[in-house]
Amino acid sequence: MKKGIYEFMNYFPFLKEVVKRDFKRKYYKSVLGVAWSMLSPLLMMIVITIVFSTLFKKTVPHYPAYWFCGNLLFSFVFEGSTAAMSCIIHNASLINKMKIPNYFFCISTVTQSFITMLFSIVPYLAVCLVIQVPITFYMLLIPIPMILAYLFTLGLGMLLCAYGTFLRDLSYLYQVLRRVWLYITPIFYPIEIIPEQFRFIWDLNPVYVYINIFRQFALYGTMPSEKVLIIGTVYAVLMLALGAVTFKEKEDRFFLYI
Amino acid sequence: MSEKKDEVVFYSSNRRTQQRDERISIEKAGTVILPEEQTSKVLTPASHENDNDVCIDVNDVSVMFNLSKNREDGVKEYFINMVKGKVGYNEFWALRNISFQVKRGDSLALIGRNGSGKSTLLKAVAGIIRPARGSIKVNGSVAPLIEISGGFDRSLSARENIFLSGAMHGHTKKYMKTRFDEIVEFAEIEKFLDVPLKSYSSGMVSRLGFAIATCVNADIIIADEVLAVGDARFRMKCEKRISQMLGVGTTFLFVSHSTASVKKMCKKAVWLEKGKIKEIGPAANVCDNYTAYIKSMPATAVKAPDRRTAID
Repeated sequence: MKKGIYEFMNYFPFLKEVVKRDFKRKYYKSVLGVAWSMLSPLLMMIVITIVFSTLFKKTVPHYPAYWFCGNLLFSFVFEGSTAAMSCIIHNASLINKMKIPNYFFCISTVTQSFITMLFSIVPYLAVCLVIQVPITFYMLLIPIPMILAYLFTLGLGMLLCAYGTFLRDLSYLYQVLRRVWLYITPIFYPIEIIPEQFRFIWDLNPVYVYINIFRQFALYGTMPSEKVLIIGTVYAVLMLALGAVTFKEKEDRFFLYI
Repeated sequence: MSEKKDEVVFYSSNRRTQQRDERISIEKAGTVILPEEQTSKVLTPASHENDNDVCIDVNDVSVMFNLSKNREDGVKEYFINMVKGKVGYNEFWALRNISFQVKRGDSLALIGRNGSGKSTLLKAVAGIIRPARGSIKVNGSVAPLIEISGGFDRSLSARENIFLSGAMHGHTKKYMKTRFDEIVEFAEIEKFLDVPLKSYSSGMVSRLGFAIATCVNADIIIADEVLAVGDARFRMKCEKRISQMLGVGTTFLFVSHSTASVKKMCKKAVWLEKGKIKEIGPAANVCDNYTAYIKSMPATAVKAPDRRTAID
């Protein structure tokens, strides 16, 4: 344990540098650069609103903001975990030459997606002002669901990475799963359209748990129930533990496959 | 564990002539590859646990690779292998039963023909690959220089790469700033600091790699073919640098094909042949035997390639 902390502190500068490097690379030579992190969800929001707003106008107030919240966390969880899944393969040239703890690559890719999410908070606030979502003090609490989602995504990413490094087909399968998950998560539709007796299944969806907490803080200005917060924390801790243990167990054999 | 940490701090603060603040020493102590965890799954208790003078202790190490033919890269293969109980594994032992020790301030060269396992052994000592059997103990911080441009990002400038590479060795930006001028000066790239590395010549890149690895005050430098790059003048500069560092107690472990420079730089050499140690001993003897062996090889082995097979 003590060794682990030493190791973490020792390679922390590496984490900073590599996140910086990936960030530069992501928008390398694009004209708008980092502005795309803010612009692309905004453009998506406009499209989705045009398509669905007549359908859900009565049940969902502030529909653009409703969709925005859901999309914000959903795309973070899946972008982060997808990137983490192949992080060992993508950084093979580095891993073959330097002794860097493997899990750092997972942390850096997930952090990368997290930063993208932080950037899209800005257009969210702009949307809130434009469509007159009441601004409340609860908005200051949005880091809670974001950090929980970060831990969950890191765990999920490490779990996927532990297997994805050996079995590269997993990433294609995961794309399909992502599509399915998108439809079973109330992002563009309200939870109310699900029949009451099945709703508990939806409540168990970890991504929806985080979206729900986020919406309560950022959109409705209410405090989520304790039950939801506890479920969210348990999911995050369990997933992180599962991911870390699996990763630790498998990482000794990574070098044979990259 | 804490004892070991203290040892390293003690060494680095006493041994060096350079000024280093305490924080750096503590950080460096963190980079020590503590053997407990790496080797706990495998056998062999360490025979030299308390011998402080031994810097690298390689004990009966064997490294195994699965040859790519039977890697379970697809679902189908995965299930086939699962059903067969992984019958189809094509094991390749890159190294078998390697044991040697390197004392602090010593330099050891690995020589041998292509594919004899030299680079694999370096990577194992650097902690990049894990041996299937045996244990490797490394006492001190390591600066690996596996393939000279290792860890550089070619789309970033040299300035950014120095910090990135330093971070990979576990150094903070603040520490790298103190070393920055020295690195730039040694690599002779003052004019091109802000140019992306992809516009560099290969010689410039390798000079930068060598400069970083030797300027960060590592206890052990592990280098693959460092002396094969750069022009004669730079090679001389490198050799001078290495002998300076050996003087202050840095340990070197490197691979070289140049027996002349091995004789000049190293006290000891290990001759690897097909993953096994063929000879280990004073550099001059081993190099002479190796050269004699190469010369005695049948000349038919160097016949001109058949035109048709060359095209295939």
